[in-house]
Amino acid sequence: MKRSLKSFVARSLFVGLFFGAFFGARASVDDAQSFALQAAEPYVKEGFQVREDYWGGDLGVSEKKAVRQQLFKGNEYWFWMGTEVERAKVSVHVYDSEGKLAEQTDGWEKGHFAAAHIVPKATGSYFIIVAVEESSEERTHWALVYGFR
Amino acid sequence: MTLFVKSLNITAVTLAGLTLGVQASETPQHIDVKQFSRKVEDVVVPLPNEVFGALNKLGSVNWKDYVRSDRGSNFTERPRIALILGSVIADGFIAVQAKDAPAVKEIGQRVLTLSKAIGVGNSITPHAKAIIESADKNKWDNVRAELDRTQNSVQQAMNEVHDQQLSQLVSLGGWLRGTEVLTSVVNKNFSANGAELLHQPDLLAYFQDKLQGMPEFNMPLLKNIHGALLEVKPLMEAGPHHISPASVKKINEITTRLDSAIVTKE
Repeated sequence: MKRSLKSFVARSLFVGLFFGAFFGARASVDDAQSFALQAAEPYVKEGFQVREDYWGGDLGVSEKKAVRQQLFKGNEYWFWMGTEVERAKVSVHVYDSEGKLAEQTDGWEKGHFAAAHIVPKATGSYFIIVAVEESSEERTHWALVYGFR
Repeated sequence: MTLFVKSLNITAVTLAGLTLGVQASETPQHIDVKQFSRKVEDVVVPLPNEVFGALNKLGSVNWKDYVRSDRGSNFTERPRIALILGSVIADGFIAVQAKDAPAVKEIGQRVLTLSKAIGVGNSITPHAKAIIESADKNKWDNVRAELDRTQNSVQQAMNEVHDQQLSQLVSLGGWLRGTEVLTSVVNKNFSANGAELLHQPDLLAYFQDKLQGMPEFNMPLLKNIHGALLEVKPLMEAGPHHISPASVKKINEITTRLDSAIVTKE
């Protein structure tokens, strides 16, 4: 009985830790997306259609990630980045296929939110560079959503 | 949808701060894109209405000419159903551009039927219902958003059961139909700006790469599509300002041929 209980406790602990770790990690990415959407919300009122699809993952401090995106001349785009780590500082910038900064000057960074605005001068591929500049965590979950009009 | 609603419920305090945000001061003017070559995430495939929106800004388009709500036969091959599903969702965006409520409602039903046939019907039922209700009320922005959610839910459901390849075929089906309509519109009234919207070489490379990674999808249709993308590639890679009327016509012929092949029993 004692052995069985011990085994049960061990199994429960293992299962708890496993699911806790799994759902905890998942929740963090989802939370990051919620914050990115929160940053996007005021722009919806201005006519931007926010895509359901999004990018996400985790980054260390000073680590950057590139996302490649097809943009169409004639449209206007905003990219919004967010993380659930409130002490983090994140950034997002848009470059053309040659590596030249292509964004408007009204992009912004505010702690665990950042946004970049682009009115593409040509149709083609662009690089969206996301980075975690500062964070209290070793790895920081992030999510990037975009909208267009 | 759920996440967006959740986000709306989050306190507005932070939002107020966002408007006071500051522009980064040390943004490099240039980056070495090769440096990121190993860190580039997968391409997010634009929705057809993204390119249709850009097309609208170049001049009025009679979208009613491109509305199509009947997709004919039923199929049992899952890759083909995935391609048709993407194509039908693209047709939904065209019907929204044309503000054609009966067509949108038929498309909503068709999406549901195809989703059930491929085993993801449960996650699509509420979206199909919302599409039909919004079309009844002429709430076109809602229909557009719901079509995006539909595609996202279909693909998420497929990814959850490790059917990523089917999910990619949904995107490919939508892209093919969107490109067919784009080239048809530009072909009818050529402009360099309209043709420039076809400059999508990375998307083409992305789809070629994904098709090559589907060896178990040993279907003549997928081989046919792969071969056709090889034909389209040089026409789209001519540079954003050099896509000729002849190239637009050729791409239209190829994508029309593929569209027909997708819905024709072999």
